[in-house]
Amino acid sequence: MPTAEATAAQPTLRRLANGVQVVKLEMADAPVVCLDFWSKAGSRREQPGESGLAHFLEHMVFKGSRSLGPGEFDHRVESLGGNSNAATGFDDVHYHVLIPPEGAAEALDLLLQLVLEPRLDADDFAMERQVVLEELSQSEDQPDEVVFQTLLNLACPGHAYGRAILGERAALERHRPEAMATFHRRNYHSESCCLALAGPLGHLDLEERLAGGPLADLVSAPAQERAPDLRLSSGRHRLEVPRLEAARLLMAWQLPAARDHEAVMGGDLLTTLLAEGRRSRLVARLREEWRLVESIDLDLNVLEAGSLALLEAVCEPEQVEQVEQGIRRVWQELADQPPEPSEVQRAQRLVANGYRFSLESSASVAGLIGSHALWGRPLDLEHPLETIERWSAERLHAEWVPRLDPERAFTLVALPA
Amino acid sequence: MSPERFAMPGGCPVWVQRRPGPEIVSAKLLIRAGSSGDPVGGRGLTQLLAGVLSRGCGPLNGEALAELVESRGAGLRCEANEDGLLISLKCASADSAALLPLLLTMVQRPWLQPDQVELERHLNLQALQRQREDPFQLAHDQLRFQLYGSGPYGHDPLGVEEDLEQLGPAQLAQRLPDLGREGAVLVICGQPSAPLEPLLEPLETCEPWASFAPPRCDGPGGTPGERLGLVSDDTEQLVLMLGATTVPLGATDALALRLLHCHLGVGMSSRLFVALREQHGLAYDVGVHAPARRGAAPFVFHLSSSAERAAEATTRLLDEWQRLLEVPLASAELALARAKFRGQEALGRQTCSQIADRHALILSHGLDWDYADGALAQSSDLTPADLLGAAQRWLGAPALSLCGPAQALEAAASSWRRHPLSSGPLGVDR
Repeated sequence: MPTAEATAAQPTLRRLANGVQVVKLEMADAPVVCLDFWSKAGSRREQPGESGLAHFLEHMVFKGSRSLGPGEFDHRVESLGGNSNAATGFDDVHYHVLIPPEGAAEALDLLLQLVLEPRLDADDFAMERQVVLEELSQSEDQPDEVVFQTLLNLACPGHAYGRAILGERAALERHRPEAMATFHRRNYHSESCCLALAGPLGHLDLEERLAGGPLADLVSAPAQERAPDLRLSSGRHRLEVPRLEAARLLMAWQLPAARDHEAVMGGDLLTTLLAEGRRSRLVARLREEWRLVESIDLDLNVLEAGSLALLEAVCEPEQVEQVEQGIRRVWQELADQPPEPSEVQRAQRLVANGYRFSLESSASVAGLIGSHALWGRPLDLEHPLETIERWSAERLHAEWVPRLDPERAFTLVALPA
Repeated sequence: MSPERFAMPGGCPVWVQRRPGPEIVSAKLLIRAGSSGDPVGGRGLTQLLAGVLSRGCGPLNGEALAELVESRGAGLRCEANEDGLLISLKCASADSAALLPLLLTMVQRPWLQPDQVELERHLNLQALQRQREDPFQLAHDQLRFQLYGSGPYGHDPLGVEEDLEQLGPAQLAQRLPDLGREGAVLVICGQPSAPLEPLLEPLETCEPWASFAPPRCDGPGGTPGERLGLVSDDTEQLVLMLGATTVPLGATDALALRLLHCHLGVGMSSRLFVALREQHGLAYDVGVHAPARRGAAPFVFHLSSSAERAAEATTRLLDEWQRLLEVPLASAELALARAKFRGQEALGRQTCSQIADRHALILSHGLDWDYADGALAQSSDLTPADLLGAAQRWLGAPALSLCGPAQALEAAASSWRRHPLSSGPLGVDR
């Protein structure tokens, strides 16, 4: 394999006096800076009665802070030619701003004020609840999202990964600003947050700016006990879904947690070998040769309490059984005999290039180094590429193929009602 | 860094933008042959052809072609939109010599093997069926019909089932020789191996591929139809799309409409976001859809709101459109819109693919390589009166498309009928 370096530079990490990590990568030629604030306050940190609160808080943050009026953040950032957004996951949440370099310093001050000192006004809270409920309705009108949520719910009983990040409607209707303030206080601490920056950072007088700001004021908190690891239950279920036009076959497998990055990279290679591109095993057989599916995808979701491989096949309702048999057959062939070295090399190239391509934009770089710093993973940008090389056909066969045994999966068949 | 430019032997222009950063290459061959050129009774032909191009060409059958691309970890996509057929290749620089020759080979020597055509056609039919699960798609398809009828822009590039079922290798083979006849452009961005010219030759020797730089010439227009369209669906929300047909990219009013788009729909400080989501909690998703087109481009407000609030959501959305026709932007609003326009331009130049995409689009419309920079400069001369004038010229009689449960449709339709916009002038001749 060509071993061209992923990028000329490497990220640098420093800690503020209170322990908050700040990680950055200079990308002199990028047209925009990405400022990305990360916190471990994902939906997994919700306690009983707090369903949907992590995501609802992400919405409320944009409604203003102690020093920023409603809409002021958006107006000021966007007047500088920037834009912002946020995303809440099971494990973490991040808030990011993309902005031309001239505006980056001001935007950084604004972002930290916004995220760390939210106002949580009661009237805004009531209004934003409507927006969150609309978001929930919108997702419930997409039958494939309903099916996907049902799968997680059944496969991960009793675990945060089985519960919807958007939350349950009844819980959302009950939430109060005080409870949200408690959630914020409990989860935004110096150990559980970090700041990532990527792009042309020359204009940013970082040291001084951060030392006097709210990030330096974050206090430490007693370590939270580690949330329970995922225990996926294998099994199967069948349901009929209104407004579904094509049938879906979904499967979920539990895989090693994100902290085992060597294993995760092996998983990335095997799922690519199986389902990325026309020459991948599942696509070549089920779509191209047997013509049983419109599409078949297998995604690796890297998660802290245990990763998940999720398969989705779209097919005619009367062919669901054949599709399931086909998937078993493809797996069995792989269990009987290690993949060809050329197949593994193909997967290695696809994964490595996908990674290299992702290093082009400041947003994806900030996202990458931010989540790695937050969870204590290696920051060296060459590390994933080196890890990829350590996986041979024999090793994938021995260590990884058994993990994707269909018997270990939870299988959901969804048919048009 | 300024681009290099040369022409392939058959005339197709090639633009090369070298760029520091990761050692990768993005190549976009954009052919002016979009779904708007699908023949009568053959809606879906161009997309089907695009899909089949990568299923075997020159000395390579479909498997060998996929193997060549994937074994190098590259990405290859062929797809049609309304105005063009786009072949995109993205790979590591070291692989560009092996992969770039595929571009012309696919265009000149595709296999069009019946079995592969049949598979691709079946996949497109299934995709069309699956699209009906999405209420936004249903509302969008209906609005498309209201705005473009059975005209060239009147169907999804995937086609319509009844036509697609009739298509086969013969129709594709007929379309193929004409592909370059309305112009094409190849844009390469990144760090391709040099010298580049020999790499663009097809894998099998053949006559040069005849094409030329796409000239400036307007694409299809709209065909005003029903002002109100209703699709009944058993959803929780009502989807609303309110739209009109406007002008091609590069037309006199296009820039004013682009600034209105920024004002109304870009970012969380945008007018629609603030007026409908922040102040009234009426929606999660609200915005403007205004893609660049070579012909009468659509300009569309979209919103989805719970069925119980259908009447309120409809009235407020219509009020916002009415406001566009009556109230000029305040100067602060215009300044914000300009800042967003500039910001969007910077954001769209982050990756090799984005850069190649944007330049290919502009060149395929017959505009200059640096059209976007010129537009940025010109945008500072536009006044609130210019924007109001453009709105009045093009947005006077919008059509409303609704998708949702029966009761919500009824409530929204009655809001529409009470609103002054519904009695606006019927389709102005454009």
